Amino acid sequence: MPEAVQLNLGTNKPFVIPGKPFAPEDESALREALKRCSPSTFEAAVQFRKTGNPEHLPAVVIGVIERFVEPDLRMKLKDADDDLRLIEDLGIDSLTMMEIVILVEDVLQMSINNDELRNLRTVGDVKTFIDCKVRGLALPKPTKFLPIEQIAAVMPIQPPFLFLNEASVSSNGANGKFKITGQEFFLQGHFKDNPVMPASIMLEALGQLAVLYLLEGASTEPGKVISPNTIFFTGCEGVRAHRVCRPGDILTLSIKPKRMKMPLATFEGAIRVGQEKAAIAEEITMTFGFAEATSEPVPASSPAAKVNGADGAHAPTPLRAAVNT
Amino acid sequence: MPRVFITGLGFITSIGNDAVDVTRSLRELRHGFVLYPPFQKPEIPVKVAAPVREFATDSNDCEDWTFPARYSVKREVLRGLAPHGLYAWCAMQQAIEDARLSEADVSNAQTGLYAASGGSPQLMGYMLNRMHSLGVMRCSPLGIVASIAGTVQFNLVAHFKIKGSSCGFASACASSSHALGFALDDLVLGRQKRMFVVGAEDGNVDAILPFAGMRALSLQTDPNLASRPFDIARDGFVGTGGGVVLVLETEDEVARRGVTPYCEVLGWGQASDGHNVAISHPEGTGLRAAMENALRATGTAPEEVDYVNAHATSTPIGDVSEAKALKAIFKTPAARPAISSTKSLTGHGLSLAGAMESGFCALAIRDGFMPGSAHITRLDPECEGLNIIRSTLRAQPHLVLNNVSGFGGANVSLVFKKAG
Repeated sequence: MPEAVQLNLGTNKPFVIPGKPFAPEDESALREALKRCSPSTFEAAVQFRKTGNPEHLPAVVIGVIERFVEPDLRMKLKDADDDLRLIEDLGIDSLTMMEIVILVEDVLQMSINNDELRNLRTVGDVKTFIDCKVRGLALPKPTKFLPIEQIAAVMPIQPPFLFLNEASVSSNGANGKFKITGQEFFLQGHFKDNPVMPASIMLEALGQLAVLYLLEGASTEPGKVISPNTIFFTGCEGVRAHRVCRPGDILTLSIKPKRMKMPLATFEGAIRVGQEKAAIAEEITMTFGFAEATSEPVPASSPAAKVNGADGAHAPTPLRAAVNT
Repeated sequence: MPRVFITGLGFITSIGNDAVDVTRSLRELRHGFVLYPPFQKPEIPVKVAAPVREFATDSNDCEDWTFPARYSVKREVLRGLAPHGLYAWCAMQQAIEDARLSEADVSNAQTGLYAASGGSPQLMGYMLNRMHSLGVMRCSPLGIVASIAGTVQFNLVAHFKIKGSSCGFASACASSSHALGFALDDLVLGRQKRMFVVGAEDGNVDAILPFAGMRALSLQTDPNLASRPFDIARDGFVGTGGGVVLVLETEDEVARRGVTPYCEVLGWGQASDGHNVAISHPEGTGLRAAMENALRATGTAPEEVDYVNAHATSTPIGDVSEAKALKAIFKTPAARPAISSTKSLTGHGLSLAGAMESGFCALAIRDGFMPGSAHITRLDPECEGLNIIRSTLRAQPHLVLNNVSGFGGANVSLVFKKAG
């Protein structure tokens, strides 16, 4: 057990199977710890502890979550996709989350920090999280939700040429929304007595979302930060418009990074209105450059907070949600 | 000032898990003592205890526990409960049903809950062991709220959605009588219309055995002899656990809801020995003063008292101390009420005692009997002159006193009166 305590994966060191082989007493301790879980959960845990093979992890993690879910909700886990939400769909509160963590720590012999937990919202988040920890990979950045005020504070582009009302950014990409109110300057002449959002502006909106991703979502080398003043459009491929967008439409925009190598980043992008495809861009490419990061600590809400995180450095923050002394 | 009545009771005790069973045990002097299995080891000199029946709560893992099927307790509730939290939870269910309270009656700004327990030494010990052996972050997230003193009201207030006053009382064996007294005050002062009063204790190995160190526990091996308050051969108390809930309501609420109360809570008094941290004053001065205060506060003359449910725990010093206090209050033979200690049946419930025995008094007043003081073979000469009844009297008590004394020399005396 002492090895397990010292093996703090919060620092993302590669997972090492303790030098000691998996002994019969470890197996009986594991059986006791998992006595309220399904036999397949126990079996997967034994296999993981013997081999260190991460393929067994999903079965262990789902088995532990299942054990803490009220019996009438367990069916949901049987054919769960990764979007199943822990709180809303499974009724797991923050205290139950702690119970799950303690059992997972016990069974997988790892330590999990409080502040790593706050970002786990779905079954998929939990699986990814455990997988990254065991493989020693950097943890994915949590999804950030940015209202217009925060977008405007971060972006080099400003109203009236900013075509995002809200956005969410994760390491996998970014999503945004823009509502055509009818008051936009570009509608005045586009077209005569027939206001239609220009396709070029729709492409611009996707490009802006990509800029936001570069500033808020992209992983950079430690100590490096992308400067807002270095990002420019370089080109696009495969742009097609499918639907005329008019005042009252709400555009749902999404971009995903395809390639990223200093100084170029390439994205794919799509715009929908409701379920209808409005426009796609197979490739949008930007150029970018680094600014030297300041070494001073910055508040998490500030745009410069992205300096931290990518290297897995986590300030130990107590779990506040559950405690009311 | 509004009058206050007891309108509902819930019992999880060593002599019964509902009012019917408890009443029968009190009338027929059936005790709850057994050779307690966890004590039957050569290194443990104490052998007898009065455990709660139909519950198995020995495990540190609440999901191992078993309890009567009439109670359904979800895991998310259970995980924050100590064994005595579960007893109190079940007694609370009973009391709510018994008083015929709706959800709205239970959950509103005018309804509060006062509770008393010593916490759960077992769960506290388990949690601290786990912390030291496995690391600080491996403590159960609800280990604290399940184990510290206060656990009863934390849990009951949250789960039953209590919106009025709530707090806990920690005066050891006087605790739940303090809770009842202050609940009465809140009702009389118009702060609340209804109060739940809860007393509970684990009554298991870790809750009882530490008292062996102060030589307070009986070492008797015969369950029929171990608890015998006022007997010359008494040698200490027998531990018990459980949970008891009383529902107190103002006369307006009683009238509005049209319920028949058990009895009236007439008033109370308290006083302290200022003498010793753990030993009663040899002359019982604090308890005497508490009874004087209770009688004065309620305008009661000593000769009006029909029955006293004594604190007497079956310890050599404590019982004599109380006998002296009783003699000082009830001076003439004519004024002497019937006296018994129902701890001769239940054992000593510590923080549970005051609420449990107040519940017994309410049953005695409603059903018209006075339970006897069991297991007296030879009365201690120091207690002679008092009317200590050795068998149950089938007579209606109109005015009843309930005494408790706790560590630090805290004494409380409560006065109950037949309603009407």
